[in-house]
Amino acid sequence: MIEYILMITTVLGAIIALMQRDLLKAAILTGIPGISITFLFQFLLAPDVALTQAIVGSAIVPVFIALTVLKTRRTEEESK
Amino acid sequence: MNANALIAVMVILPIASALFLNLLHKKDRTIKILAIITAIVIPIIPLLTPYGSHFFGGYVPLAQNATLAQGLPSLITGTQLFQFHPGIMYVFTSAQQLMVFVLGLITFFAIFTFLNETKRPSGVYAFLMFMGTASVSAILLSDDIFNIFVFFEIAALAQVGIIVASGIKNNYETALKYTLLGNIAGPLLLLGIVILLGVTGNVNVTDMVFTFKQGYVDPNSPVILMSMALIAFGWLYASGLPPFHTIKSAVYSKALPHGAALLQAFSVFTLVAIGIIILRLFSYNPFTNIAIIGISVIAMILGITMAIVQTDYKRILGYLAVGELGYIGIGLGLGTAFGITAGLFQAVNEAIITSFLFIGFGTVLYKTRTSNTRKLGGMMYVNPKVALLVLLAGLAMAGVPPLNAFQSKLMLIQAAIQSGLPELGIIMILLSIVTFMTFMKAFYTIYMRPKPKELEILDNKIPRSTVISMVALLIICVILGLFPQIATNSLQTLAAGLV
Amino acid sequence: MVVDSQLMSFFTAGSLVVIGIFAALFLDNLIKKIIGLAFLADGVNLFIITMGYKPGGIVYIFLPDMVVSNFAQTASYPLPFALVLTNIVIGASTLAVILGLVIILNKRHGSLSASKILRDKGE
Repeated sequence: MIEYILMITTVLGAIIALMQRDLLKAAILTGIPGISITFLFQFLLAPDVALTQAIVGSAIVPVFIALTVLKTRRTEEESK
Repeated sequence: MNANALIAVMVILPIASALFLNLLHKKDRTIKILAIITAIVIPIIPLLTPYGSHFFGGYVPLAQNATLAQGLPSLITGTQLFQFHPGIMYVFTSAQQLMVFVLGLITFFAIFTFLNETKRPSGVYAFLMFMGTASVSAILLSDDIFNIFVFFEIAALAQVGIIVASGIKNNYETALKYTLLGNIAGPLLLLGIVILLGVTGNVNVTDMVFTFKQGYVDPNSPVILMSMALIAFGWLYASGLPPFHTIKSAVYSKALPHGAALLQAFSVFTLVAIGIIILRLFSYNPFTNIAIIGISVIAMILGITMAIVQTDYKRILGYLAVGELGYIGIGLGLGTAFGITAGLFQAVNEAIITSFLFIGFGTVLYKTRTSNTRKLGGMMYVNPKVALLVLLAGLAMAGVPPLNAFQSKLMLIQAAIQSGLPELGIIMILLSIVTFMTFMKAFYTIYMRPKPKELEILDNKIPRSTVISMVALLIICVILGLFPQIATNSLQTLAAGLV
Repeated sequence: MVVDSQLMSFFTAGSLVVIGIFAALFLDNLIKKIIGLAFLADGVNLFIITMGYKPGGIVYIFLPDMVVSNFAQTASYPLPFALVLTNIVIGASTLAVILGLVIILNKRHGSLSASKILRDKGE
């Protein structure tokens, strides 16, 4: 049962992250699919991949993107 | 046990040297010496290496491993499990020898001109060049399709680095566009590879082909067609065939001349290497050949016609280079042994000639710091020798005898007629003429018309090494043009194996 | 509720790939594009892992007290997992390169909008 919840949070988290106007929020929300996928990997019998993904997907990628946002600009521009 | 360690050295040596060069900073002399030694050794290794295959980590097929194979039950020895390749395998035959040698030669000339044209050579730039060479050599040698994907990504990153390092206006925008596209194409290529893995249970191309041939999987299933489409998408991106021709020519024009010479060699050899893999895997499907020929014809027409309207000579060369890729594609797509030989020979020639042209036109950039043809003129009087060399390079590209592209284009046209497609031959001849026209137009505006008043010609002398590189490349062109058997004999075996 | 969890996992991977490609192609903001690319890579990884999964199987790590024949029959297929490990690292490093480019471009153009930065083609 738990795996279905994880799959739903993965997809919903991805959509929600892309819908944010505040880029910092978007960057941090990127971690939700990351961490859901980590648990999915664990469920799918891949514990060592889950370990790597736990670090990369739920920490490194969101932090890198958040740092870029802090170094550039926080809000999305109005598209013409 | 044919574990031939020198085959691995072809990839490992550039990587090791690159990593070491990256560590050296501001030690100009050491960087120069190390870079030039590596650049000299790279083309020599393939000449010394005997043909064979290398198994990384010594993981040979069970059939070749006497100690392990002894006590195995018939469950394993009786089936094909016994023949499968468990580790990464590099295959080295005469065709690979020629192509890795030519790639190494172009790397050598690129590094040679770079070290002499730049006052303070940076180790990082040499790092990127060697990294690219190593990854493209690995793509040529590897028989393991996932290994090819890994080096595909490394080559893409190295190319982005070479663009970023050039310092030409707007290079960051081009680099960003190229990486964004690469980050879509890379995962899709991987998706195609893993679909094949899921269907055949293997990532070794030889084993996959075996699985298809023996009918263990249905080769006509839609899943395999899907994977073919995805792999072809990555192939188009890496080689710059349409729809990626615009970005690829922009990439060439945003790199420094020696960088561009190397970048186009990367595209040509990636095109050949992944094209061969696609042919090996999917040639049972007649649609593959039609698709390759269609894409190639579009590439030729789009590349060469778009070259006419450009005003930046590096852009012109970029589009011409993309257009010439179409000839290689047609050779591969014809599907006959003669056609594939012609295509591979054209690939070798094109890599040499285009880098010749890039280095040649690089002297114009070196003397004037501009690449806009509208602002240029009268360069003939500045340096007539270089102008003559560039003219010869252009003639070679258009396929004028006795230079090398004449032989390969002639072979391509013959192959097209033999396969019952004389229309392709006519298109190729027409586009050759258009190529020649485009080149002559650019040559006239840069070299022959009177010099515009506002054009400043810098006082710096063209380094002798650049001229030496160009003369050496010209000599190779003439040798291959007079004695095409040198190249075609080594390429024939590979081509015959693909049919 | 009897839905095959492997099949559902394939659908999740597929939707991540589609979301990623959509974001990378059609969203204007560069950061959003990059987030989309990260999702695309995640989706492909999930696809590969799901392919190696064996329903009701065991983890592919051979422990000393296992029986070889039993292990060979029930363990999931380890090759895809090795590929994913490599791909995760490649994805993270290309992401870092792209983000570096974005920081430099933002300094030059004062904008993160792809249509503004990439408008002038080539020249």
